[in-house]
Amino acid sequence: MKFSVKTSVKSAPRLGKLYCSNDSPSSFRFQTPMVLLYTRGGSLPHITHEVFKMISKNQEIIQIPLTSTYSFHQAMSQFEGNIASFVGMKDCLSYMTVQDPGELTQSGHHVKDNIPIWTRGGKVMINADKYMDLIENYKPDMYCMLTDSDTNVASLNKRIIKSVDNTIKFYNKCMERHTKSEILKDTFVIASVTGGYSIRERKRCLDAVTSNENVGGYVIDGLHNNGPEVEFIPFDEVKPVVKYVTENLPVDKVRIVQGCWNPLMVLHLVGCGIDIFDTSYCYIVTERSAALTFSLGTDDKLQKFEINLRESQYADDFKPILPNCTCLACTKHTRGYIHHLLAVQELLGPILLTIHNVHHYLRFFEKIRECIKENTLPEYQTKIAKEFREFEKKISSRTSSDTSVIAAES
Amino acid sequence: MTSPKNPLVFKIFTECRKTKARTSKIYLPHGEVDAPVFMPVGTQGTMKGLLNEQLYNLEIQIILANTYHLGLKPGREIIEKAGGLHRFMNWNRNLLTDSGGFQMVSLLKLAQITEEGVKFQSLNESKLEILLTPEHSIEIQNSIGADIIMQLDDVVKTTSTDVNRITEAVGRTSRWLDRCLMAHKKADSQSIFPIVQGGLSTELRTKSALEHCSKNVRGYAIGGLSGGESKDDFWKMVHLSTNILPKDKPRYVMGVGFAVDLVVCVALGADMFDCVFPTRTARFGCALIMTGQINLRQKKYQNDFSPIDKECRCSTCETYTRSYLHHIVTMHTVACHLVTVHNLAFQQRLMKTIRVNIKEGTFPDFVRKFMYDVYPDKKYPSWVADSMKAVNIDLIR
Ligand SMILES: [Zn+2]
Ligand SMILES: [Zn+2]
Repeated sequence: MKFSVKTSVKSAPRLGKLYCSNDSPSSFRFQTPMVLLYTRGGSLPHITHEVFKMISKNQEIIQIPLTSTYSFHQAMSQFEGNIASFVGMKDCLSYMTVQDPGELTQSGHHVKDNIPIWTRGGKVMINADKYMDLIENYKPDMYCMLTDSDTNVASLNKRIIKSVDNTIKFYNKCMERHTKSEILKDTFVIASVTGGYSIRERKRCLDAVTSNENVGGYVIDGLHNNGPEVEFIPFDEVKPVVKYVTENLPVDKVRIVQGCWNPLMVLHLVGCGIDIFDTSYCYIVTERSAALTFSLGTDDKLQKFEINLRESQYADDFKPILPNCTCLACTKHTRGYIHHLLAVQELLGPILLTIHNVHHYLRFFEKIRECIKENTLPEYQTKIAKEFREFEKKISSRTSSDTSVIAAES
Repeated sequence: MTSPKNPLVFKIFTECRKTKARTSKIYLPHGEVDAPVFMPVGTQGTMKGLLNEQLYNLEIQIILANTYHLGLKPGREIIEKAGGLHRFMNWNRNLLTDSGGFQMVSLLKLAQITEEGVKFQSLNESKLEILLTPEHSIEIQNSIGADIIMQLDDVVKTTSTDVNRITEAVGRTSRWLDRCLMAHKKADSQSIFPIVQGGLSTELRTKSALEHCSKNVRGYAIGGLSGGESKDDFWKMVHLSTNILPKDKPRYVMGVGFAVDLVVCVALGADMFDCVFPTRTARFGCALIMTGQINLRQKKYQNDFSPIDKECRCSTCETYTRSYLHHIVTMHTVACHLVTVHNLAFQQRLMKTIRVNIKEGTFPDFVRKFMYDVYPDKKYPSWVADSMKAVNIDLIR
């Protein structure tokens, strides 16, 4: 794979292209900023391949965390084919990551030269060699090197330093294996930049991982421990570190930030020159029975940021989730029907919500690219900020008045 | 007779020369149904995690919904406001609803049956006594708007031997049928099926079937079976009922869905079936194949890169291996959806094979081959051998 971007500014919204070097130049092309499709156990949450083909006309890249696919390793060592075909998504490209952005990563349990990953079968210790063996087995189109990303805003200095030490060690070992590997010679490799919220440590990490031309791009890691908590991290908190890192990354390499960031945060991060995100946000929204309804246009009319279809007001509401939405859920079904499915805990409820939410999120990224092209990103961001503030107000008033509701929903 | 107002027209195409099997089409308000047909159960207005589009892909022409569940949630009012269940769930093919009575008796231990109806205490904190009468059942079913609806019947536990109770139930079922027919407000778009009761008693089943024959209805259900009785009793009751019921109307055996049972009941002259089994078993990772079923949780499928069934053309078998399913089964909802699709495809394929064989006059050969594949040691259960013998197929030969 290759990445090209038309900009010389280091920390600003940018349009780029991601394409496969070994295919014809017109096929397999993605425009950035873009979003990877988050998977669990190799499948989009609730979505089978048959349904996926009904809702997706374009090629996509699926993000496959090792934590939820580690149990495949024995089968993969005998399977003729790559991880995307094993999980029934061979028409997609695949990107493997270590941790699962949709789920809180348990902190701690560090052992020298190893990273603990939490699988269904419990804790598994992974070192760089074991990791690279797995990658050669799974043969993704893109992968992120092994990394120690176990830091967040509250991490102590000692932990941050350790995470960078480990990340650099892993980087050297993985890069050595990658360069020698015949299997991975066409695979796009992503290096990780860790260092928590310490500029000094971020610099140390950057200095160590940004010199090799064979690296295809960078993921800014170690900002959080994944899971739903990421949704409400304020931009001001991550801004200094993200700005610093993007300003010091090579401008021609792709930049990834993973996690359930809310759309306003995504716009901020795009503003810092981030190119790739993932749909784990859609997953957590779906799990709380909500549908994304924030604006995709720049007109003056404000919309609700999201609606929770379990609320009783939707029981006899026979409108689609979002009027004018062209997704399968909105063209075929009503809020009332989805409310019913959620109320009786039928499996079709989350399926329809996922269909809408992922559709809406993909269109959100189309809108972002359009805004960058037309230089209207600030206006759009102002509008989304207003809608998001209203939503936050609603959430916080509910939290203070009735915490049990939130607890029951999580 | 085929006036446009008739919501159920039944046409037999081929009758097996040896057995009582027949192929037919049932023309209903939401399209035709090729019978013998298996009807999957979508209890709450949805088919276990499948989109309608997937059901259309599987060529499913009719599904079941449960009146008891729908009456509770979303409730009659919402369904009526939506314009009926077809519109509520945006399903443009046929629906069949049960009366709600069976669910009540089986789900609520405290249900009490009187001449008026089924009485039970509501499960919520109100502890109100609720009464489901024949009139009330039809009223809800009219609101739901299914193409075929069921009378409220007096259900007796299948294994009961209390003759007085069964006698009472047969008489009451007939009286309730009259009340249901009286209460029915949508006779031009919905057809009520009476339900033949009578437990495992030849006399009482005969009585029940004969009484129903005199009523102005467009099809019949055979109920009170598939509830844990011995198969030797079961087939005899089906055989006896189909012998009495008029040939020119569809016969629906309730609660039947295992492959062997379906083949037997078709040979005995039944046309319609329903069962939660294929969809329920999918949730536990059980996939149906012609010779039985495989449990994908078993370790032996870990490195098995073949599809569930090489002969199957379903979207699951076209894309996924047993190995992948083994790894995600009971862990991710996707696995459940994938096995459900396969199991429904299996039921569809089985019924189609049955229909084709009846049509081509090869049904008896098919039955022999089918049973031999399931029981390769030829140790046929007595009920299979006996029932087939009763319709002139000698399996032992
Ligand atoms: Zn939509
Ligand atoms: Zn199949």
